[in-house]
Amino acid sequence: MIQFILKGIVRDKNRSLLPIIIVALGVTLTVFLSGYLGGVFQDVIQQNARFETGHVKIMSKAYAQNKDQLPIDLALLETDKLKDELQAEYPNMRWVQRIKFGGLLDVPDDDGNSRSQGPAAVMAVSLLSENSQELDRLNIRNSIIKGTIPTKNGEVLISNDFADKLEIDIGDEITYVGGTMYGSMAFQNYTISGTVKFGNIGFDRGAVIMDISDAQQILNMENGATEILGFFNNEQYQSESAEDIVKNFNAQYEKSGDEFAPEMQSLEDQNGLGEILAYSNYMSQIIVTVLILAMSVVLWNTGLLGGLRRYKEYGIRLALGESKGSIYRKSIIEAILIGAIGSIIGTLFGLIATYYMQEVGLDISDLLNQSSMIMPSTIRAKIIPSQLYIGFIPGLVAMVLGNMLSGMGIYKRETAHLFKELEV
Amino acid sequence: MEPIIKIENVTKKFPEGEGEFVALKNINLEFQEGEFSGIVGPSGSGKTTLLNIIGSLDQPSSGNAWVMDKNVAELSHKESAQLRNLHLGFIFQVYNLLPVYTVFENVEFALLLQNKSKEERRKAVMQALEWVGLENIPNKKPSKLSGGEGQRVAIARAMVKEPKIVLADEPTANLDATNAHAIIQTMKKLNEELGTTFLFSTHDEKVMQYLNRIIHLKGGEVEKDEIITAQNPKS
Repeated sequence: MIQFILKGIVRDKNRSLLPIIIVALGVTLTVFLSGYLGGVFQDVIQQNARFETGHVKIMSKAYAQNKDQLPIDLALLETDKLKDELQAEYPNMRWVQRIKFGGLLDVPDDDGNSRSQGPAAVMAVSLLSENSQELDRLNIRNSIIKGTIPTKNGEVLISNDFADKLEIDIGDEITYVGGTMYGSMAFQNYTISGTVKFGNIGFDRGAVIMDISDAQQILNMENGATEILGFFNNEQYQSESAEDIVKNFNAQYEKSGDEFAPEMQSLEDQNGLGEILAYSNYMSQIIVTVLILAMSVVLWNTGLLGGLRRYKEYGIRLALGESKGSIYRKSIIEAILIGAIGSIIGTLFGLIATYYMQEVGLDISDLLNQSSMIMPSTIRAKIIPSQLYIGFIPGLVAMVLGNMLSGMGIYKRETAHLFKELEV
Repeated sequence: MEPIIKIENVTKKFPEGEGEFVALKNINLEFQEGEFSGIVGPSGSGKTTLLNIIGSLDQPSSGNAWVMDKNVAELSHKESAQLRNLHLGFIFQVYNLLPVYTVFENVEFALLLQNKSKEERRKAVMQALEWVGLENIPNKKPSKLSGGEGQRVAIARAMVKEPKIVLADEPTANLDATNAHAIIQTMKKLNEELGTTFLFSTHDEKVMQYLNRIIHLKGGEVEKDEIITAQNPKS
């Protein structure tokens, strides 16, 4: 009988084509939007994790309260020891020290006078250490536009846009003008070893990247760092594990009144990323729900029209001895088959569209010129496993639901009336 | 002999506005197995309503309609469907073939409902097509058939499950004289060879000349019950 139904679906385009197109369209939209939103939010989360928040981050309690101002005087000290202790206690994570600070970059001319100047946001990471994973984590090798990664102290990377703005090139000297963590003035010359572009507007506007030992030296912050970041070994954020680690770590310092005592925050506790993650899930659910409802209504109407068109066929089948229940059940089986075909096609198209947007992306750098958010300048969709079912199930449910609703007409109508259609 | 169909004081009323329309008034009829009978009468005389009740597609407002010893008035939807599936065949004015299926598949459908095996179905369908002389075009689509061929497929579909009773509602209304005679002769032959009871609703003179019994309905009442020739009961 299934074979018989299949033949009907394949041969009767009116019965199958429109519902399949509707289901396929709805599923394509669901799958694509899911991949698109997932990709965008995941990119934002990952960029923030890599550049800013880590999967967890440790700061001094005082620094944590004023972290937007990058208060280097509130940095953590004896961080090597703390880092070793963390590594021993939480071996499923990798721990890195970073220093973030601001200052003025001055570019001297041949006579030693200022040729150009600009405010810089400096990020000091482990660049020169042999075992450093920061080069990979920040994707520095692939982000180099000109020159090379610093190979010795005194060399820095500068963002390509910033270098253009200051009219400097690799090999040029720049002077950092700022203060130490104890408030003294600090001046230091550095050589540009390369320029970078991360595709991250906040960083590309005015970033300088140097080795952490250079920063500790200029800031007079020996064995110190403004923050220690923890990353899960697989570089994937794990919400529950992160929360457990944060709870466990902070419990040790809960009663400490020392404002320099360390405090750990998870990715979700920082920069509103928790809200972004919740919003991402919420939006996905809204999209799926709205699409299921919309598709159900459309398919219900399509089913009603199809049902009306097929009253004659139902009449014939009743005459041949098929019961109303059997006709209803077979119309549901048809709906399952049509829903499955439409959902498979929709999922396929949705994945193709997602793949295209994953590879090509959408350049939004013009929109982010004034933004200080850590956000990718090209937003990309991402193929995620949930796309295999996130559209398929709603497509199937909507089709079956639509047919169940419209098929109720078969039950409501008297057998003799259905049969009467045959006299037309 | 027990009648195969027994209509006992059957009245059928339909709601009409605030009142009701009486389509059949206290009908009493009996049909023996193997009859080749017709119900004739003008439009609105109750022919189709009576056929619907005998076909267990509708139920009487009062009275009883016994078909194959089953009281239609007391059958559930499922039991009615089963009665039609196993014992009743229908032939319509328009052939009402399922347009997306081939001749073979249209005839086969009735057997699919009986869960017959593929081989059983194939044999029965080819046999039924042979009865109506269409064994050479099993793969044709209904849209490619002539009017006469379409109605012969409809006869094959009604006969494939070898029902005890075939109800034919104006089966020749859409056919020319030649085809009408051919169709009615085919049915007469099946009636004689298989002993199937045929009950027509018709006002076609060409059909009437083949009938053994003509029941005249008028205003929902039996006006005349006319035996034309001796019945041809199943031996």
